[in-house]
Amino acid sequence: MTLLNELNFGLNLWALGGTGLVAGLLGSALGIGGGPIIVPMLTLALRLPIQVAIGSSLVAIVANACTATGMYTKARLTNVKLGLLLETATIPGAIIGGLAVAFIAPSILSALFGLVLLYVAYTMVVRRHLISEDGLSADNSFTPDNTPNSLSGSLANSYYDQNLGKVVTYKVTHMPAGLGAGFFAGVLSSLLGIGGGVIKVPVMHLVMGLPMKAAIATSAFMIAITTTVGALIYHYYGYIYPFIVAPLVIGVVIGARVGVELTQRAGGILLRRIFGVFLFLVALLMFLKTANLI
Amino acid sequence: MKSDESRLNNRLSLGFKLGIAVSLALVIIGLIILLSISGAKNIQPLVRLEQIPAAIVISVGILILLLTPIIQVIVAIVLFSKARNKLFIGISVAVFCFAAISLVIALI
Repeated sequence: MTLLNELNFGLNLWALGGTGLVAGLLGSALGIGGGPIIVPMLTLALRLPIQVAIGSSLVAIVANACTATGMYTKARLTNVKLGLLLETATIPGAIIGGLAVAFIAPSILSALFGLVLLYVAYTMVVRRHLISEDGLSADNSFTPDNTPNSLSGSLANSYYDQNLGKVVTYKVTHMPAGLGAGFFAGVLSSLLGIGGGVIKVPVMHLVMGLPMKAAIATSAFMIAITTTVGALIYHYYGYIYPFIVAPLVIGVVIGARVGVELTQRAGGILLRRIFGVFLFLVALLMFLKTANLI
Repeated sequence: MKSDESRLNNRLSLGFKLGIAVSLALVIIGLIILLSISGAKNIQPLVRLEQIPAAIVISVGILILLLTPIIQVIVAIVLFSKARNKLFIGISVAVFCFAAISLVIALI
């Protein structure tokens, strides 16, 4: 069946808008974009061809990430410099991942990725002692006076945490690990068609020392840049249909605004647990996909 | 140094919000035009002749949305240049170039 024949059916604008709303809410609250929600909904529930579903999802993710970044940046939650620095590794990773698609079996990669996600989810949900409520380990907070005059110093940041009612300051550590994870996130996002947020957020939080909220906000900023390239490519190839994308974008923008408000008011530990549960679900989907059950 | 940081955050926030506001407005206007022409129950993914004006307005909105993050990277380059922050001018330019390269590779 050709793509044109597959698209010869009536659209349910409410279902598309509702999908966007849920994806916008979860995507912005967790810094993951929303692709794992939109693509299955469009393909399984609304029966759209996969290319059209991915193209529409990419546009919706850009809308989500831009809405979230506009709000997070104003609240000083986004670490813009760190986001740009990590993008220098993520985008080349995405290019290499895109070129490697022909040489790597996606099913094996999905299974391995699922295992990694399970471990990260366990770390996020169960290992409570690692990081305190504001997301900072004891040796990772700093005062402006002792900020080193270096790359690490210029990446140090602070923001007002509504939930804690105080200014949270932090420095960025383990930069090489962060760049490596950014590269890995880029490769996987191209190979598996996922947003890199499921890798970036845990690494920034657990390894690089960012508070959970700053990790979510910085991930959203990075996703806005990375996903735009993919969306423009799908736009160029004609896989983006305005009447499918329009209700999705409206739903996503409304959902994202609510999601950002929730993140700003929620506690760091609660966000980590919700994120951990989400990772368990994504890992489960990866295993089902590997077994060809979905 | 901190005022440069604030300016960067404020300008990027404004840029992202403006991009979203303009694109959302166009998408909503396009959808209203579509609904007034076709009604809610006669809309298919493929654009019919009478629906072309609505499709054009929505497509322009989508394009503005997709250009918003790229424009913000350019804004960051300009702001880092004004602050004479050579390290982050280089990093921002690298991000812009990598994005352009990946686009070119995907399209050829």
